Amino acid sequence: MTANSEPVRPAAPRASRGARGFAPLAGNSQRAVLAVLVAAGIAGFAAALERGEAARAWQAYLVNLLFFLGVAQGGVVVAAAFYLTQARWAGAAAFRLAEAFSGFLPLGFLLFWGLYFGRTLIFPWVLHPVAQKAAWLNTPFLFARDGIGLLAMTLLSTWLVRVSRSRRARAWATDSSDIAMPPPAIRRLAPALALAFAAVYSLIAFDLVMSLAPVWHSTLFGAYFFAASFLSALAAMALTAVILRGRLGPANAFTMPKVLHDLGKLVFAFSVFWIYLLFAQYIVIWYGDIPVETFFIVQRVYYAPWAPLSYAAVILIFVVPFVVLLGARPKRTPPILGAVAAGVLAGIWLERYVLVVPSLSQHVVPFGWIELLISLGFLGGFVLCVITGLNMAAAAARWELPAEGH
Amino acid sequence: MAAAAPEIAAPTFSDVDRSVLRVMQAPGVLYWVWIAFCFTLVAIGAGFWTRQIYTGMGVTGLRQPVMWAVYITNFVFWVGIAHSGTLISAILFLFRTRWRTAVYRAAETMTLFAVLTAGLFPLIHLGRTWFFYWLLPYPNERYLQPNFRSPLVWDAFAVSTYLTISALFLFMGLVPDVASAREQAHGWRRAFYAILALGWQGTDRQWRHYSMAYLLMAGLATPLVISVHSVVSWDFAMAQLPGWHSTIFAPYFVAGAIFSGVAMVITLLVPMRKLWGLEDLLTPWHFDNLAKVVLLTSLVVTYSYATESFMVWYAGDPVEQMTFHMRYFGPWGWMFWMMVLCNCVIPLLLFSPRIRINLAVLWIISIFVNIGMWTERFVIIAGSQSTNFEPSQWAFYRPSITEIMITAGSFAWFLGLFSLFARFLPIISMTELKEGITWLRQALRKDYAKAA
Amino acid sequence: MSGTVEIIATFAGEEQCVGGIEALRAARAEDFHVFAPIPSEHIEKAIGRRRSPVRAFVLIGGILGVLTGLAITIGTSREWNMVAGGKPIISWPPFIIICFELMILFGGIAAVLSFLLSAQVPAFESLPGYSSRFCGDRFGVAVRCEETEAQKIESILGVAGAEEVRRAQAQPSAAIVDLRDG
Repeated sequence: MTANSEPVRPAAPRASRGARGFAPLAGNSQRAVLAVLVAAGIAGFAAALERGEAARAWQAYLVNLLFFLGVAQGGVVVAAAFYLTQARWAGAAAFRLAEAFSGFLPLGFLLFWGLYFGRTLIFPWVLHPVAQKAAWLNTPFLFARDGIGLLAMTLLSTWLVRVSRSRRARAWATDSSDIAMPPPAIRRLAPALALAFAAVYSLIAFDLVMSLAPVWHSTLFGAYFFAASFLSALAAMALTAVILRGRLGPANAFTMPKVLHDLGKLVFAFSVFWIYLLFAQYIVIWYGDIPVETFFIVQRVYYAPWAPLSYAAVILIFVVPFVVLLGARPKRTPPILGAVAAGVLAGIWLERYVLVVPSLSQHVVPFGWIELLISLGFLGGFVLCVITGLNMAAAAARWELPAEGH
Repeated sequence: MAAAAPEIAAPTFSDVDRSVLRVMQAPGVLYWVWIAFCFTLVAIGAGFWTRQIYTGMGVTGLRQPVMWAVYITNFVFWVGIAHSGTLISAILFLFRTRWRTAVYRAAETMTLFAVLTAGLFPLIHLGRTWFFYWLLPYPNERYLQPNFRSPLVWDAFAVSTYLTISALFLFMGLVPDVASAREQAHGWRRAFYAILALGWQGTDRQWRHYSMAYLLMAGLATPLVISVHSVVSWDFAMAQLPGWHSTIFAPYFVAGAIFSGVAMVITLLVPMRKLWGLEDLLTPWHFDNLAKVVLLTSLVVTYSYATESFMVWYAGDPVEQMTFHMRYFGPWGWMFWMMVLCNCVIPLLLFSPRIRINLAVLWIISIFVNIGMWTERFVIIAGSQSTNFEPSQWAFYRPSITEIMITAGSFAWFLGLFSLFARFLPIISMTELKEGITWLRQALRKDYAKAA
Repeated sequence: MSGTVEIIATFAGEEQCVGGIEALRAARAEDFHVFAPIPSEHIEKAIGRRRSPVRAFVLIGGILGVLTGLAITIGTSREWNMVAGGKPIISWPPFIIICFELMILFGGIAAVLSFLLSAQVPAFESLPGYSSRFCGDRFGVAVRCEETEAQKIESILGVAGAEEVRRAQAQPSAAIVDLRDG
C-alpha cells in the first residue's frame, strides 16, 4: 500500500462519480512506484524461467493469484453480505470499501489463463495422469470449468458493483432508519453472487489447490478456502480503513469509533470461524488416522521445514487477532487494528503458500528473490487496479456519512 | 381465547404489553385438552421406555450392524432444533438484527425444551440408564475415568453446557418481562411472577449490569451453538465408517440444525399467531426474514450434499462408493430422494417473496423441512452403518413399536412443555419489542405483500 | 436526615427522559436513579456511570474454565492412562474441545452470578419512587435532595418534559444501598 503522505493531486475524471475529483490516493508518483513493482515482478518471473527455476516461478504465481483473487472477490461478497443483512452501520463507506478491491478481478481472470502455460509444472496430473480421476483432472475440462466460473464471477461482480454505486443504492445505504430492503436489482444480484462465490471458489480450491496432491481429499476444503478469502477481504478492508482514516481529514466515516469497532468485530469473528474450519478438518483427519488423508497434514504441520510456517500462519491469522481484539478498546484504536489486520493478511498469504507449495516441493521451502519479486509484482498490479475503487471509498467516507442510530 | 386482535396501526408500549399479557390469561378447555393429549402420549412413551429398561434393549430394532438408529436420530434432530433458537436469540442479537425481537423468545423457549428432549435420548439409548453418571469424571476406588479422547464424552460436556447456558440465557431474558407481567397479574400468578422477576424494577443500575451480562451471554452462546452441533456431528465423523468419515460434517450439521430449527420455529409460530391473536406483533415481515434464513441454510445443506457426493467419486475409495450407491439406490433409497425433495427442492420455493409471506404455504414448507431433516439424520446414521466394511454383515434396520412410541412421546413432551410455557410466561419479549418499536411500526405500516 | 425529599418525575418517552437526566446533571443534582421499561444506550450514556464489572468476571470465569478443562482432562488421563484408539495419552485436539466447552460454561455462569451480585437482584425492597408503570410504558427519574432544593429540581424536570412530577418524604435509607455506586 502507498505509505507516503504527499499532497493530493486531482485524479483522472473517471475516478469517482459524485465526488468532484476527490482522490487522496492517486498521485502520479504513487502510480510510478507501483508500475516499477509490476515491472520488477515481470522481470523476476522472466529471469526465473530463464535460469531453470520455472517451477518456483509458477508456484509463486499461483500462490499470489489465489491470494489476490481471494481478496478481490471476497470484497465483493462482503458487500453482497452487507446488502443481504441490511448492514448500514457505516453508511455508503462500508460498501465502497468492500467493493474497492473488485478492480483487480478482470486482471485476475486474465492471469488465471496464464496458468495454462505453466500447467506441467503446477499440476502433477498433467504429466502423470491419475487414471481414476482422469475424467475430472484433465487440462481441457479444468480450464473450461474454472474459466467459465471465474468469468461468471467477474461479470456478476462487475454488475453488482456498478448497481451498488448507483444513486438509489447509495441513498439506501445512508438511510438506516427504514426497514426497506435494498433496491430490486441488488436484491437479486447479491444472493446470486454469494451462491456463485461458494460454488466457484470451492471449485477453485478443489482444482487449483487440492488437485496438486491428487490422492488427497477433504470435503470441507472448498468452504475452508473461500471462508479464508472472505476473511482476507475483511482484513484488507480494516487495514484500508485505518490507512484512509488518517488521510481524509477530521470528519470521515472511518474516524467514527463504532465503524472501526464493527470492522474489528468482523475480523475477530471470521478469524475464529477460520480456525473452526481448520480444526474441523484437522480433528477428523487426526482421529481417523487414514494414511491417504493424513499425509497432507503431516507434511505441513509435523515436520520441518513446513511446520514452523504453518504455526506462523495460525498465529498470525487466529492467535494474535483473538488475544488482541478481544476487548472493545483495541478494536477502536487504529494502529492496533491496522497492525492486526496486516498480520492477518500476511498470515493468509502464508497459509496459501503452505497449502500450495509443499505439494510441489516437499522438502525445500523455496523462498528467495524469485518469490519476493513476483509477489511484489502482484502487489503492485493489485494496488494499481484498485486505486479507483479506493478513491471512491475515500469519497464516500468523507461525504456519505451514515445517519445516526442503528 | 381465539379472538382476533383489534387492528393496531402504530402500537405503543402498552399495546405490546396488552397483546402479550392477554395470552397469559386463564386458558380455555381446548388448551387443557391439548395438554392432556400431549402428556398422555408422553405417558405412553414412558411406559414403553419402562418396558425397555425392564426387558432390555432387544425390544428395539437395533441389530448388528446398525446399533445407532432412531434414538440417536432423535437426539441429533432435537439438538439441531435447539440450535436455531440460540442462533435467533444470541447470534442475531450480536448482528443487531431488527426482526429478531418478536420471535426470539419463542425460539429460545423452543431451544430449552428441545435440549431437554434431546437429553433424554442418550439416557434412553443407554439401556442401563442408571449408569449415566459414568460419563462424568469423579474419584472412584478403581481409578476409572472417562475417556476424554472419545467424542461421546465431548458430547456429554457440550450438551450439558448447552442446556445450562440456554436455560440461564432464557431466564435472564425473562426477568424484565416477568416484572412487567407481575405488575398486571393477580392472585397466585402475581406471586409466581414476583418470585421469577427477582424484584426487578428497571433501575439504571439493574439495566446497566443486565445489558452487559446479556451481551456477554450472547457472545458466549454464539460459539457454543456452533461447537455443540459440531461435537454432535463428530460422534460420527470420528469414525472411519464410509458415509460418516467426512471433514464437512461439522459446518454441514450446524447449517442443517439451523435449517430444521428455524423451520420448527415457523411451525410453532404460525398457529400460535392465529390462535392467540398476535397478528399485530408477528407480522409478515418477521416470517419473510425467517423464511430467508430457511432458504439460506437449505442452500448450504444442498452444497454439502453435492460436495460429499462429488468427493465420494473423486476419492475413488470402492467401499465408500458402494456405501453411497446403496444410499442412493438401495432398499432405503426412497428415503434419500424424499430427503432431497424436502430439503433441497421444496425450499427453493422460498425464492419467491410472495410465498415467503403466505403463511399457510410457509407452514406447509416448514413441515416438509422437518420431515426431510429427520429423514436426513436417519439416512446418514442408520444407513451408513447398514452397509459397512463387511458385506456379510449388511442388514437393513427396521424400527420397533418401542422406538416409534418413544419418538412420538418425545414430540409430545416437547410440544406439551412448550405449550405450558407459552401460556404461563411471556412468549414474546415485550421488553425487546418495545426497544425496537420503530421497526415494528414500519413493518405494520408497509404493505408487505407488495414489497417485492 | 430531616428535610430530605424524594422527587419522582414520570416521562412518556426515552428522549424526554434523557433530556431530564442531562438537565439534572447540568444542575449538579447527581443523587438520582432512573427507572425504565427498556434498556437504553442513550440513558446509560446520559447518566455516565462506570462500565459494568461483569466483563471482568466473565473473563475470569472463562479463563478458569479453560484451566479446569486442562486439569480435568490431563489429570484424569494420567490417572487412568490407557491408550485408546492409538491416540497419545495427552492428546490436545480432544482436550481443546473440553476446555472450550468449560470456558463457555464457567463464563456464562460467571456472567449470571456477577449480574445478580452487581445489580443486587433479587431485590427484596422496593426502591423509592418505584411505580408499576415503570415496568410498562413509562420512564421515571427519582431524585433525592434537600427540601430547599426541591422547587428548583421540580421545575428543571418539568421543563425537560416530565408528564408528572410529585414529591414524597424520603424514607430512611437503612435497607437501601448507596445508589451512586457502580
